[in-house]
Amino acid sequence: MTWLVWRLYRSQTAIAALLLAAFATALIVTGLQMASHWHSLLATCTNSSACGTVSLGSTVGHDLVVLSLAAPVILGFLWGAPLVAHELETGTVNFVWAQSISKARWLTVKAGWLLLAAAIWGGAIAALVTWWSGPRNAFYSNQFQPNYFDQQGIVPIGYAVFATALGIAAGTVCRRTLVAIAVTIGGFIGTRLLISQFLRDHYMAAVTAYYNPLSSYSPPGSAWVLSTGVVDRYGHVFSGGSAPEVNGVPITAIPASCMQASGIRGFTTYQPAYHYWPFQGIETGIYLALAAILLAVTFFVVRYRDA
Amino acid sequence: MSWLIWRLYRAQAAITALLLAAFAALLLVTGVQVAAQWHSALVTCTQTHTCGNLSSTLFLGSHAVGFLVIMTLGVPAILGMLCGAPLVAHEFETGTSQFAWTQSITRRRWLAVKAGWLLLAAAAVGAVVSGLVTWWSGPNNALQANAFSPGRFDIMGIAPVGYAVFAMALGITAGALVRRTLPAVGITLAGFIVVRFVIFSWLRPHFISAVTTYFPLNRAVTVAGSFWQLAAGYVGAGDRPISIPQSTTGTVLGTVGGGIPVSSLPAPCQALAGGGNTPLSPAVNDAVLSCAQAHHIRAYLTYQPAGRYWAFQGIETGIFVLLAAALIAVTFAVLSRRDA
Repeated sequence: MTWLVWRLYRSQTAIAALLLAAFATALIVTGLQMASHWHSLLATCTNSSACGTVSLGSTVGHDLVVLSLAAPVILGFLWGAPLVAHELETGTVNFVWAQSISKARWLTVKAGWLLLAAAIWGGAIAALVTWWSGPRNAFYSNQFQPNYFDQQGIVPIGYAVFATALGIAAGTVCRRTLVAIAVTIGGFIGTRLLISQFLRDHYMAAVTAYYNPLSSYSPPGSAWVLSTGVVDRYGHVFSGGSAPEVNGVPITAIPASCMQASGIRGFTTYQPAYHYWPFQGIETGIYLALAAILLAVTFFVVRYRDA
Repeated sequence: MSWLIWRLYRAQAAITALLLAAFAALLLVTGVQVAAQWHSALVTCTQTHTCGNLSSTLFLGSHAVGFLVIMTLGVPAILGMLCGAPLVAHEFETGTSQFAWTQSITRRRWLAVKAGWLLLAAAAVGAVVSGLVTWWSGPNNALQANAFSPGRFDIMGIAPVGYAVFAMALGITAGALVRRTLPAVGITLAGFIVVRFVIFSWLRPHFISAVTTYFPLNRAVTVAGSFWQLAAGYVGAGDRPISIPQSTTGTVLGTVGGGIPVSSLPAPCQALAGGGNTPLSPAVNDAVLSCAQAHHIRAYLTYQPAGRYWAFQGIETGIFVLLAAALIAVTFAVLSRRDA
């Protein structure tokens, strides 16, 4: 069975390996240039405020890294969606499901190898991007920010496994490859959008720092700032963002004694830098759990479906 | 024949219309909110005379909708993969081409009607999405003056119509050449990304030769409107660029990219500044500035002026429509030589 899977997927494996090699070459070349640039900078300055407006990394490398956000969904719709749907469409299931091997075992081996390949592919891309981004992470301290968080560490593995499982499940339920491709793209973007915009900032309780509203505050390290503003003693947040007004008076015009008496303070709510790896773990766990649910649905549907 | 196309594609047409309607509803509701937010911010900042720094303090709209608007970059590729690639390839795969091509209608006419309607539909979908995004982004364009920047230019105006037509044509051609849907889907996606990438990073800056403007060191280096900055820096006598060390802790003059360090100035000007790391007093600063001016040191900005926005949109759209026409010609050539 494993031999059969290899025969079915060897050309796709070769193409995927070639693309990965091209991606790796581009990132290693631009990454080495950036690393040497970074080391020459380290002699005089260590972060973006001391170095002025230095730009690290080439545009091509940066564009490729942003494109890697789409790698999981491509796996999902080119490998995952046709896995069952294409067999149903061409009628080859009639042959496959009439063999001595059981349907469940057929699906286990096929889906298992594909999910493993997806995890390896996603992991390789994430490792390259994480290595490439090293100097930028040290310089800009932005690896916890949305979109940077999503390209590095272990979350891309979770996304790749989820997208592939979504493709397999969509293909099994819809029975048609093209429809399954559309469902995979829509489902992946929708799920990613929902989780990154509405769920991620609540994984762990955020930390709030209070300070003199006339000064500014930046949390240590690569923290993820969720909100910032000015608040009074009753917890009422003044509108106006970083330049708020109290009853029409700009905050800079209020005497310090008056401000202290009314308990007006600046606040910054953030996820501290040491939450980075717990967040990576939680996000990956969520996507692996979703993938497991989708696979369970697939097994259920395949078991009760006639060829 | 057109009736057949409608029968074949009515489910896809209905789904596309539904998705477009949902997208339109979302953008209309949030767009009205963004416009209201923008107008109230304008009123407030006019009263307090703080409109100058509005672009750094005001965030318009929500992150989620802004993200969705950026995602419209992928709409042409999805049209090409889901509608373009199967157009010929799926008929080959299922063998229906043998039936379709043995009717009284010629193959050329069959392809012309099928491809024609799909290209028209792609142009319509591209135009509707782009129209909504352009309207929604109005306040943001006014606030950030970045409508000409890469990434923003690509989702507004008429360029998305060109992308959609090109992606659809690419899908049809890929399907006709490889005769299998899934490889055609992969080729469409890769081809679309590569062509877009090559044109926007290497060709677009040179559609019309860029303008370079020089500024004295004591002036802000900027021009009016939503210009597209290509390069900026400092030049000395003979307009030779001055090499500036990537990092410095010394005193700087000017504003471009953090300014020009005093240590990069000619020796007489460095002597005037005293070579120290302390901020210069206003009198010394003026003396150093006029010394630098006497040595013909100026700031420069290379850019595409805001007035060329629509010319660039036209050129970009034209290129993609021409590419689409070439691809369609290839498809006709391939299909008229191929046996069913």
